[in-house]
Amino acid sequence: MKPFEFVTALSTESARELLGPKGQYLAGGNDLLGRLKDDITEAARLVNIKALPGLNRIEPGADHWRIGALVTIAQIEDHPEIRKVFPGLHQAAAEVGSQQIRNVATLGGNLAQHSRCWYYRHRDIQCLKKRGRICYAIEGDNRYHALFTGNVCISPVVSNLAIALTALDATAIVLRDGQERRMSMAELYELAWDNPTAHHSLRPGDLILRVEIPTQRRRSAYLQISEKHAFDWALVSCAAAANLENGRLRNVRVALGCISPVPHQVAAANQFLEGKPLDDDVLEHAADLLLAGAEPQTHNAYKIPMARALIRRTLRQLQA
Amino acid sequence: MKGSETPSTGRLSRRDFFKGLGTTALAAAASQAESVAQELQKINAEKILGPGPVPVILKVNGKTHKLELEPRVTLLDALRNHLGLTGPKEGCDRASCGACTVWLDGTAIYACQKLAIDTQGHDITTIEGLTPDGRMTPVQRAFVERDALQCGYCTPGFVMSVSALLRKNPRPTVEDVRHACAGNLCRCGTHPRILEAALVAAGLPPVSTTRTEVIHHV
Amino acid sequence: MSEWPAQPKVLGTRVPRVDGPAKVTGQARYSSDIQAPGLLIGMILRSPWPAARIQRINLEKARQMPGIKAAVAVQEGPRVVRYYGEELAAVAGVSRQACEDALRAIEVEAEPLPFVVREEDARKPDAPRVWEQAPNMPPPRVREEGNVDEALKECAAVIEGFYTTSVQLHHPMETHGGTVRWDDEGVTAWISTQGIFSVRDGLAGALRLDQSKVRAITEYMGGGFGSKFGPGVEGVLAARLAREAGAPVRLMLSRFEEALAVGNRPSSFQRIKLGAKADGTLHVFDYENYGTAGVGAGQATEGGGGGADLPMPYIYRVPNRRIKQTTVAINAGSSRAFRAPGHPVASFGMESAMDDLAVKLGMDPLELRIKNDPSEIRQREYRIGAERFGWKEKYRKPGSSPGPVKVGVGVASATWGGGGSSRTQGEIQINPDGTVEVRLGVQDIGTGTRTVAAVTAAEVLGLAPDQVTVKIGDTRYPPGPGSGGSVTAASVAPTVYDVCTRALEELQKQTGLPDVRGENWRAACKKLGVTPLVVQGRWREGLSSSGVGGVQFAEVAVDTETGLVTVRKIVVVQDCGLIVDPLTAESQVNGGVIMGIGLALYEERVMDWQSGVVLNPNFETYKLPGIADVPEIDIVLINMPERGVIGLGEPVHIPTAAAIANAVANALGVRVNSLPITPRKVLAALGKVPTAKA
Repeated sequence: MKPFEFVTALSTESARELLGPKGQYLAGGNDLLGRLKDDITEAARLVNIKALPGLNRIEPGADHWRIGALVTIAQIEDHPEIRKVFPGLHQAAAEVGSQQIRNVATLGGNLAQHSRCWYYRHRDIQCLKKRGRICYAIEGDNRYHALFTGNVCISPVVSNLAIALTALDATAIVLRDGQERRMSMAELYELAWDNPTAHHSLRPGDLILRVEIPTQRRRSAYLQISEKHAFDWALVSCAAAANLENGRLRNVRVALGCISPVPHQVAAANQFLEGKPLDDDVLEHAADLLLAGAEPQTHNAYKIPMARALIRRTLRQLQA
Repeated sequence: MKGSETPSTGRLSRRDFFKGLGTTALAAAASQAESVAQELQKINAEKILGPGPVPVILKVNGKTHKLELEPRVTLLDALRNHLGLTGPKEGCDRASCGACTVWLDGTAIYACQKLAIDTQGHDITTIEGLTPDGRMTPVQRAFVERDALQCGYCTPGFVMSVSALLRKNPRPTVEDVRHACAGNLCRCGTHPRILEAALVAAGLPPVSTTRTEVIHHV
Repeated sequence: MSEWPAQPKVLGTRVPRVDGPAKVTGQARYSSDIQAPGLLIGMILRSPWPAARIQRINLEKARQMPGIKAAVAVQEGPRVVRYYGEELAAVAGVSRQACEDALRAIEVEAEPLPFVVREEDARKPDAPRVWEQAPNMPPPRVREEGNVDEALKECAAVIEGFYTTSVQLHHPMETHGGTVRWDDEGVTAWISTQGIFSVRDGLAGALRLDQSKVRAITEYMGGGFGSKFGPGVEGVLAARLAREAGAPVRLMLSRFEEALAVGNRPSSFQRIKLGAKADGTLHVFDYENYGTAGVGAGQATEGGGGGADLPMPYIYRVPNRRIKQTTVAINAGSSRAFRAPGHPVASFGMESAMDDLAVKLGMDPLELRIKNDPSEIRQREYRIGAERFGWKEKYRKPGSSPGPVKVGVGVASATWGGGGSSRTQGEIQINPDGTVEVRLGVQDIGTGTRTVAAVTAAEVLGLAPDQVTVKIGDTRYPPGPGSGGSVTAASVAPTVYDVCTRALEELQKQTGLPDVRGENWRAACKKLGVTPLVVQGRWREGLSSSGVGGVQFAEVAVDTETGLVTVRKIVVVQDCGLIVDPLTAESQVNGGVIMGIGLALYEERVMDWQSGVVLNPNFETYKLPGIADVPEIDIVLINMPERGVIGLGEPVHIPTAAAIANAVANALGVRVNSLPITPRKVLAALGKVPTAKA
């Protein structure tokens, strides 16, 4: 890594100020330190935000829960109530990295992580996302890349929690220039849809404070498929949340990960599923709607049947 | 060294603090040095450190060490190259293999993806710290007895992961062991025996994924 | 003629590894753990170009950087580099940070050259040449026997298949490199190696020193799998840096570098026509293969055994055969011997073809093998394994398993040599207090060499293994072979037998006691007075041999909706002569099988054709099997004491991927003919993947 200064912030104001033009926030460090080691990110100063007060709490509530951005993935995974109230979130957390990563990785860091595209992450490739000339994946090896994109970069969002939280209709509270802004998961990532250099909608200096998750949907599920059985990035991930009344879905949300720069949600699919039972043809049609308009690359068309299987299974899991 | 400026917030500079404390106090016994670490943490909060070497106090295996480290030095680098603790190994330097697994306040982390300066005020435990009196723990004995090792390079990391699991969950299932060890890689193929050793160390039947029969050729 | 005891007391019992405690407590010192006063860190600058003419390397700025004590170029003067990651220069400094900063300050003037990194591109006549003087793919060598074209007409069934494998990386958990120190006596090098004498020899040559002035020490090393012979470019650089700096240098490669420049298993593109008579007798084998050995094609590769040629038709004898093989060069790191070089890939090609032929003949694939396999030991192993596995109950016609998770079974076999080196020597020191030290110039690459020596010594001397101290890994000890080819156990055991037998004779002679073993040991040793007894010996005939078989059965479950393959069970039936220690032998089997699962399902080095870089130089996207990927492994070891010690590290890695590939084909009713068998390929084979955009 290149040399950098290190400072521990005690308030969000001083964190913002200390960040300056060339600083990076340091939480768990899993993503940032890897990027610094491979010279993908420049940082003259790291601002340690782990001492910021009030950001590491899990606060249950009747209408919604608040989970602080500094809560670790392990804390989310191990929380017995989260497992009951938001099983989809629990499942997504359990699949993040490894135990060693989950023990230090934070909710905020997981949402704000950068692309894992192997061209982006390569120290000797200056791709479009790094302000280079071209997206190498388009003509290159794009087996892990997106089926949908609004721009030339085809790297997909890979945060497990983003997908689970999208299905749960969660809101991120982001501190920007001293003001708290509420962002849906869609808003949190929308900039990445058509801006090739963006990983999400956060601007330099923005700080995720917490996530609010409504308890409205009493059932949720998350599944992913990876090449390995554990400790592997998902090829495709799927999350669903809903209520079930007499075997019919209510307030249903389905989201897919790893196939788009943003959590992939289709309003028509959610609308179609409303009030329907979990029958085979319902699930097939939902998959049709969710994957309509998919534009596979040379090597990633397999994600389509894989996503269809995940959609069916994740929705079925809501009945479990 | 950068740290001697007084910042605009009006807090004490580190030099002022040291003057007050008296430099001899820094050579004091471990417990006093601990409180120095905590004080340093409070004083250092909002103090910009580096990029050159700065004092970093690490508490490792119950002992406190004062080092001079650049902020970019990882915990693994500090342990191996500044403290001579070569038990934790470098396998990838990218949080993907587990050979560097140590405990931070009793939970398993990758030492390679943690800055040393970011661990002040916390307790670090390395493989050396599991056996302060030289006697093997039940996990270590089980590893030896079940041959849960071959070249041994990944072994300290696995021992730390399994030991951390058993502290948290003394009666793990097979799935619990797999979940706790998924972040440790082994190229020699010790996995089936690590599973056995973990269960045996927990006092559970060694549900093994390997069975062997030796047939004697007549 | 020497013989192992008919009723051994220690040999063949389950003895925990004698170096287990050192490893589990973190006390074992590997090459990167060695401490030395004034120790510096070394780091290498590598070519970011897949091909370039290097005009000038300017080290001046780097030399001036704080904390830097030495800087060297790999070679003075202009030169051509031929792969991404080829070594250019190196620095030594007081810390990693100083070295990282110094590498950034090295200025390289280079002219990038055209390059090619995919086999299918490199084969084309207009492809950029990796080596100016030779085409990338020389015309194939052809071996012919019988009359293939006639024989094809005589067959009741002929299949034609195209089976491919990817480049596989060794990725030992400990990277390459070591610590080198100069002193008045010469050079001491603690290199992570499978061959301490190859390190000594290589360093002496490169540094122009007498061999007697070079000492290589490797007490513990973290795996090699064939890639760690010789000092390597990194070992020589460490030595040159240490000389220039006047201080010891520790230079270990990063994981990133391991993916670029220290060897790999060549890929394969095997076109096979296999035909048989109606009764299943193999009649014709028409074979073409090419693969890449990186820049090593046609050039000498480090450590040998790295070319892309395969031993075909593997274990079977086919009277009419035509075998055409060549190696295609690409701008990528050179291949090196990798655990049973050639065999796992040969087994995959041949055994896949056999299963496809069985299907065409309407025959049980196991029956087809029993019909054609000339090896007596494997015939036994088929029977034992089939019963253990439940082949008759489990085998079903391909694709007939009900879905969506389909189950299938497969079988494949191995042949291997092994055997010991007659050039092995050893010595024993017996102290008057009864303690014993056996010294051997061999290494333990994770197989349990120390334990083999301790068990053998204990058996002969009538002691317990933990009463024997075994010292290995020092070129000052009597020499032994490098650990490759699965020869170490068969070299060590007969040597230790000889050393200890001679020691008994000597001790008996010197003390006048007729039997000094067991309970008489201490009293006998006491009679040595003040002077210990050192006895030397060498490898003795009659205690080892070579030639093993090996059969593996695999059961897999394939999720036909997601393409995910799960190995449920592997049954291994392996002979290895006399089993010295079943506990450590089983661990070798586990290791070979798990590495075979990696070859079958996960591992593949990916090159980017646009930039020429390795696209997956890390463990995140070069995937090794983890604990959740490991199936039930059921092992039957056949103990054959009359054959002596043979060795089994490699044979147990050979047939696993082939058996898994066959099991997947059996499950699905259609074959994924390319390793690794990833979900993507399974879905494509099932016809579920829509046509992608052009």
